[in-house]
Amino acid sequence: MAAIFPSPEWLQILSDKLNSDERYAQIAKNWESDMCVVITPSGPLTKQQFYYLDLWHGKCRKTEILNDLSSVQPKFVLTATYDNISRIMKGELDPMQAMLTRKLQVHGSMAYMMRNVPTVLDFVRCAREVTTEIL
Amino acid sequence: MQPILKINLNSREISEYIIPTEWERDFLGGASLAARLLYPFLTADLDPFSPESPLLFLNGPLSGTAGPAVGRFVVCGKSPATGLWAESNCGGFWGPELRFCGYDGIWITGKADSPVYLWLNDNHLEFYDATTVWGKDTYESQEIIKSEIGVHGAHVLTIGPAGEKGVLFAGLFCDHGRTAGRTGLGAVAGSKNLKAIAVKGTKKIPLAQPELFAPIRSAANHALKEENLSHLFHDLGTASVVDYADYLGSMPKKYFHNGVFETVEKVSGSTMAETILAGTSACHACVIACGRVVRLEDGAKRKGPEYETIVSFGPDLLIDDLAAITRLGELCDRYGMDTMSAGGTLGLAFHLFEKGIITTKDTGGLVLRWGEVKAVEQLLHLTARREGIGGYLALGSRRFGQHFGAEEEAVQVNGLEVAYHDPRAFSGMALVYATSPRGACHNQSQYFLVDMGQADSNIGVEFYDRHAGAEKAANVARHQDWQTVFNALVMCIFANVPVETVAGLINTVCGLELGMEDLFLAGERAWNLKRAINNRLGLSRENDKLPKALLEPYPDGGSAGYVPPFIEMLEAYYTARGWDPETGKPTPQKLAELNLEWVAQDIWK
Repeated sequence: MAAIFPSPEWLQILSDKLNSDERYAQIAKNWESDMCVVITPSGPLTKQQFYYLDLWHGKCRKTEILNDLSSVQPKFVLTATYDNISRIMKGELDPMQAMLTRKLQVHGSMAYMMRNVPTVLDFVRCAREVTTEIL
Repeated sequence: MQPILKINLNSREISEYIIPTEWERDFLGGASLAARLLYPFLTADLDPFSPESPLLFLNGPLSGTAGPAVGRFVVCGKSPATGLWAESNCGGFWGPELRFCGYDGIWITGKADSPVYLWLNDNHLEFYDATTVWGKDTYESQEIIKSEIGVHGAHVLTIGPAGEKGVLFAGLFCDHGRTAGRTGLGAVAGSKNLKAIAVKGTKKIPLAQPELFAPIRSAANHALKEENLSHLFHDLGTASVVDYADYLGSMPKKYFHNGVFETVEKVSGSTMAETILAGTSACHACVIACGRVVRLEDGAKRKGPEYETIVSFGPDLLIDDLAAITRLGELCDRYGMDTMSAGGTLGLAFHLFEKGIITTKDTGGLVLRWGEVKAVEQLLHLTARREGIGGYLALGSRRFGQHFGAEEEAVQVNGLEVAYHDPRAFSGMALVYATSPRGACHNQSQYFLVDMGQADSNIGVEFYDRHAGAEKAANVARHQDWQTVFNALVMCIFANVPVETVAGLINTVCGLELGMEDLFLAGERAWNLKRAINNRLGLSRENDKLPKALLEPYPDGGSAGYVPPFIEMLEAYYTARGWDPETGKPTPQKLAELNLEWVAQDIWK
């Protein structure tokens, strides 16, 4: 299955992918953290969007589209414009490149993030694989 | 710019040198301006340890201001380790304090009859007898000198016993662990009987347009503080990259021969943060604060190791004890030795011992078994004192290898030990190491960050695959030019500041109207001038090479099986640079483009 990014359907399909992908399950087996992807307006997107994912030991325990961050305290908040996150999803922008060039802002434990770069990169692989269209 | 204070240690003659205005525009400051100033004096027959050998301490136009990460200065001269151009920059507070004295630099020549240190209090210079501090380590020396001069807030730049004894990778140290470590300029200071320079100033740094400078530097500092990389370095230090470097296979292990070290996570910045970290430290006005303060089992707070020291005394020697690495780094700092070259040279000793090329007969009975901290510690003592096998280790890995008939095993370029960002993981580093004006240095271009993803199309530095080949050669040259600007300013290379901000800072400080291409031209000009200096000193195309180990694939790890296509990359690099493919010299046409035509008569005669 595949879906248009960003959309509720896309988030559900990504969750299904994370829960069925053997490679992700192996690489992310020690990951214990939730996160929220904040997509800020640019291009066709006019309103900020908040995609919450609870990731635990190689599985996705919960997803939710939020109105803001007031109801959750995720360990990581990843913020990027719609244009930049779309380029990441399309494979045009490397996620580490985005992080190192002010295109993707990361808030959370840097120690945990650096220990788990392979998990982060494989999460992006899964997201890319379920993304067929961009809004 | 402010004047440079010229001091002859023989005659004690002092004068002020006024920098020509056009040089400020063409070379900006720091290492670039130093190359222009020292060009006439760096000749092939100059012995780096002779009294005539110059030692130039220089700031940049932004040094000491409240700009982003601009607390650095540079030391330049002729390297006793490489016989080539030497530059080594250093953070802390000493450089800004020198500018507060009303001087942008100190230019030393001559040799004192007996050990001295200099005390510059604003524009008042005094010579002090250094007999009581000669032989003291760099930490003790700073404290003794501060106590003797008795002025609160003075900063002391000093050599340690290694510099006094002429160890070829001795550096200069200030502010408890900030180092101008590379290329052996601490030994040049030692050869002049110059133990230290203490500075304390009260003057304001001249700004051409202070009202325009203030908002630019304020915005720049705020933006820099919010950078991911700044967060990373603040939280975890430069050792933050250990995990990722290991994943990519860019962190050498077992003297550049292994791609995997099972317990490497024990030495990461993350582990340090979760175990021994007790605080952070920052250079003058820096919003990043990448420096580590750690607490070991004795309860004392001390400097924590940064990435290069961790790899040097950690995975590259198969040591996974962060406390031991901290202590070995401190030992080097106290003796006044560069941790990268020290670790690299000791790594060669362990490697040759394993191969049976050296034995316990050579080591004085020491068994050099990988991972043995005590053996490393003992070798460091011997090196700093130049005793036993330490007499050869003190010469650096190239000469150590030569002595034992195994120069090809030394992982160095032109006499400088390779930094710990492997070209088999980041192919761009192959060109960086081979063509750097001071030997295998990572600070002439941190291209490994570009290969990781820190590319910037706005300045013409594009993102290529980390294993791309000749197609990235021009990109590497472009990045070297940009980093040369940083080394001129002297701005910390961790300050990821946009080019338009850098230009704004320079223009409002200096009263210039430089654009992006003017800055790149200044960078390219200085890169070529340093190349020409080295050509005069005997460097040719044959010097642009990589050591054997870096051209053999790793058997395992994140870069297993890959070696950079070095020859093709170098050909493309020469084309991009406008250098003669036969000799490796900048062509007369290229020199003329850069307003360096006056150099051609020296290198093309």
